[in-house]
Amino acid sequence: MSAREFGEAWALSQLSPGIHLVALAGLIGRRAAGWRGVVAAVGGMMIPAAAITVALTAAYGVIAASPVARAALAGVAPVTGGMTIATAALLVRASARHGRAHLVIDVAVSLGFVVAATLLGVPTLAAIGAGALIGAVALGRERPTSRESSVG
Amino acid sequence: MDPLALFVVFLKASALSLGGLSSLPLLRADLVAPGIATDDQVVQAIAIGRISTGPNGLYIVSLGYLVGGAIGASLALLAASLPPLVIVPITALARRWLLATPVAGLVRGVALATAGLLVATGIGIVNASGTPSLWQLALAAIGTVLTYRGTLHPAIVIAIGAAVGLALGR
Repeated sequence: MSAREFGEAWALSQLSPGIHLVALAGLIGRRAAGWRGVVAAVGGMMIPAAAITVALTAAYGVIAASPVARAALAGVAPVTGGMTIATAALLVRASARHGRAHLVIDVAVSLGFVVAATLLGVPTLAAIGAGALIGAVALGRERPTSRESSVG
Repeated sequence: MDPLALFVVFLKASALSLGGLSSLPLLRADLVAPGIATDDQVVQAIAIGRISTGPNGLYIVSLGYLVGGAIGASLALLAASLPPLVIVPITALARRWLLATPVAGLVRGVALATAGLLVATGIGIVNASGTPSLWQLALAAIGTVLTYRGTLHPAIVIAIGAAVGLALGR
């Protein structure tokens, strides 16, 4: 596939639900070999990585209850919390490419959802639905370009 | 937990998220709140998912294993793989519609809602074991900055957290 086709597949994959790299693999696989290509591309990317993930999880499970592992987890937990917050920042970061006003709106809307979730106890599913509605009605002026986003 | 119900939980989280880790708020709401998983297991799954190969979103395979063993991991893998593939037939049928502004706005709105929920989830993880100590707050800040900058491999960031935990967490 050409660089232009790859770029378009990348942009379309950013519109997919779930893991964007799976969508990208699926689009590339379909382009290369139809539906068999989709299965080969997605299976080739996910199955070995999933097997390694399970092996690591099982290996950690052997020592998970030990005092050493518990102490390490006391440090890993805040780091993963920080990683989660950074992922949110990365989701918003792409807005900076569209100018300051765009960024201010996106940060303000995101902070509104932080308040809704932490202080008002709005259910997760309701927040996502509200985000979709607000976005479709009021935020659809520009097509998102998420090449900078590294949220997987 | 019933395997079918577990599959539905993972499928819902995957189908209603944008990007790898963005399924976390839904999974935490559906698994931790009812007591099916613990925050410690969520932390383990995220850490292993960042250390392991493949997309960030594969942390749900680790979480599936912790909650439901090999079957749970397999169901999580299937649930993570299916929703993104809806883009393939939709692209073939309605590529122009996908690139229309209302769709872009919807995706942007969901991304912003997810960003807010991820911040709330991150705060929840930091506070999961009670009031965090100063060194844990410092680690959370370091984890945020290093991940945002992306200059260090996530495994190194997690190793820093583990090392500090070993030194100060006993």
